[in-house]
Amino acid sequence: MAGKAIDLIRQGIRILQKAEDSVLIGLLLLMVFIAVSQIFLRNLFDSGLSFGDELIRVLVLWISLMGAMVASRNNSHVNIDLISRYLPGHIKKFSTVLVGFFTSVICALMSWFSFNFVMMEKSEGVIAFSGIPAWICESIIPVSFAIISIRYLLISFATFFNSYKQNV
Amino acid sequence: MSILLICIIILFAFLGAPLFSIIIAAAMTGFYFSDIDLSVMAIELYRIADTPILIALPLFTFAGYILSRSNTSERLVRLTQALLGWIPGGLAIVAFVVCAVFTALTGASGVTIVAMGALLYPALKQAGYKDNFSLGLVTTSGSLGLLLPPSLPLILYGVIAQQMDAGQAVSIEKLFIAGILPALLMIVLLSLWSIWANRKTPVPLTPFTLKNVLATVRESIWEIPLPVFVFTGVYSGYFAVSEAAAVTAMYVLIIEVLVYREVKLSDLSGIIRESMVMVGGILLILGVCLAFTNFLIDAEVPMKIFNACKIFIGSKFLFLILLNIFLLILGTMLDIFSAIIIMVPLILPIAQEYGVDPIHLGIIFLANMQIGYLTPPVGMNLFIAGYRFNKPIIEIYRATIPFMMVLLLAVLIITYWPWLSLVFIS
Repeated sequence: MAGKAIDLIRQGIRILQKAEDSVLIGLLLLMVFIAVSQIFLRNLFDSGLSFGDELIRVLVLWISLMGAMVASRNNSHVNIDLISRYLPGHIKKFSTVLVGFFTSVICALMSWFSFNFVMMEKSEGVIAFSGIPAWICESIIPVSFAIISIRYLLISFATFFNSYKQNV
Repeated sequence: MSILLICIIILFAFLGAPLFSIIIAAAMTGFYFSDIDLSVMAIELYRIADTPILIALPLFTFAGYILSRSNTSERLVRLTQALLGWIPGGLAIVAFVVCAVFTALTGASGVTIVAMGALLYPALKQAGYKDNFSLGLVTTSGSLGLLLPPSLPLILYGVIAQQMDAGQAVSIEKLFIAGILPALLMIVLLSLWSIWANRKTPVPLTPFTLKNVLATVRESIWEIPLPVFVFTGVYSGYFAVSEAAAVTAMYVLIIEVLVYREVKLSDLSGIIRESMVMVGGILLILGVCLAFTNFLIDAEVPMKIFNACKIFIGSKFLFLILLNIFLLILGTMLDIFSAIIIMVPLILPIAQEYGVDPIHLGIIFLANMQIGYLTPPVGMNLFIAGYRFNKPIIEIYRATIPFMMVLLLAVLIITYWPWLSLVFIS
């Protein structure tokens, strides 16, 4: 039973990772394409997509947060790490569990408060650009932090049960 | 209560919690005790989407990662050797120039030592340079060119300075102009030292022949326009930096995948993911730091630090000395991007009170951080070199220290002679 549940989680993680990769790659290529078309349109035809510049800026936010999500798969975010490299094995394991849990809680809080913000913008009907509601552009913030939070919780658990394989 | 929370956050920082989570925790604590609704965090983070210049970051990083995966490095070495190989000092000087150009082309994203080191280290040894010298040279060169466009750290400095009242006049274009002479100074001093250090070692020179130059030019014909339009576009003001980034990304993508065919289409997804993981890491820290900075400025923290400093630090000269020492230590602990994001908002207002020009400060900051990459015990280039060339870290320390001393001299000149950075800026 437990084995089945774990298999299901593993499969879910794989699907999520594939989806993240595809979206991330698609967004970057889209950004390059729109940015270059804007330059051509502006210089050759003195025109441009009315929503182009805003869209590119929102893409920067999405790409950053998606990149950050991917970085948390194997905990490859920048850290200071002055103490932990000198800790003996079992204490280091304990501190990894603790740090993972801390990060997870912080990201959960961040996700919750940004979710509130997005809902507020939705109910006020704020428009970002060209009729696109602001809350859609902002929605990546709570979503990405929720996923980062889950990942660090998994890293924390898996480290505790000694089954962390560097990729969740 | 708040003091307990601060202690817990600091403890987790040193235990190795991700920097972004530490900053979020600190900012949330600050806002909570100032009775500000915490959804302000999302508003601040969304400012990433309100800063047009940040577009340049993912685009240049992407281009840099593609270049580092193709054979651009080899062609660049051959071309530079054909052009400059006749100068006394030979390959060593070629290596400095090549690394500076490559670092600039890849936006100083840290790929130079990986892409160039493996190429130059055996070449230098084969040319008759001592092992120690060659090792030190490639380790040092890994961060040369940090001050040349389109350096991402310099762009980041500009972005942060512009977010603050203190530095609104700091344009990215001005920073790029300010970086030229200091970057040249470093290259020239390192070259002079190399000539002197090898005065007893016979070093073969490559004679200058038109045939050789033409052959290498033909080989690199598609890549030569790249620095030309990045440098001239940005310096002349014809291109905005973000436009130059877009064109560079598209151009590099086309020539390396379709013309040279050195990057396979199937490798592209991996390259994009890797480069965007780096961008995501940096911009996430930037985004949450914007929130934290806002809190610090509201709480007038920079002013308080300045007032405390005034008691001990009476002159601009003394301030600059302490700044140098502080930044050198900082550079050994933090990577250059995080250091800029976290420290510039604190240091910039203080430096201005002491009469340091914000643009000059940017150049000082980066020049110091560049040495931080090489400073034992934890400079990043040292580890990359140790790993890449399979050498004990102690050997790398010993090989790098003379070069570090030369760069230290350059940094002192850059710091105490503002003319060098500011001469072309009216």
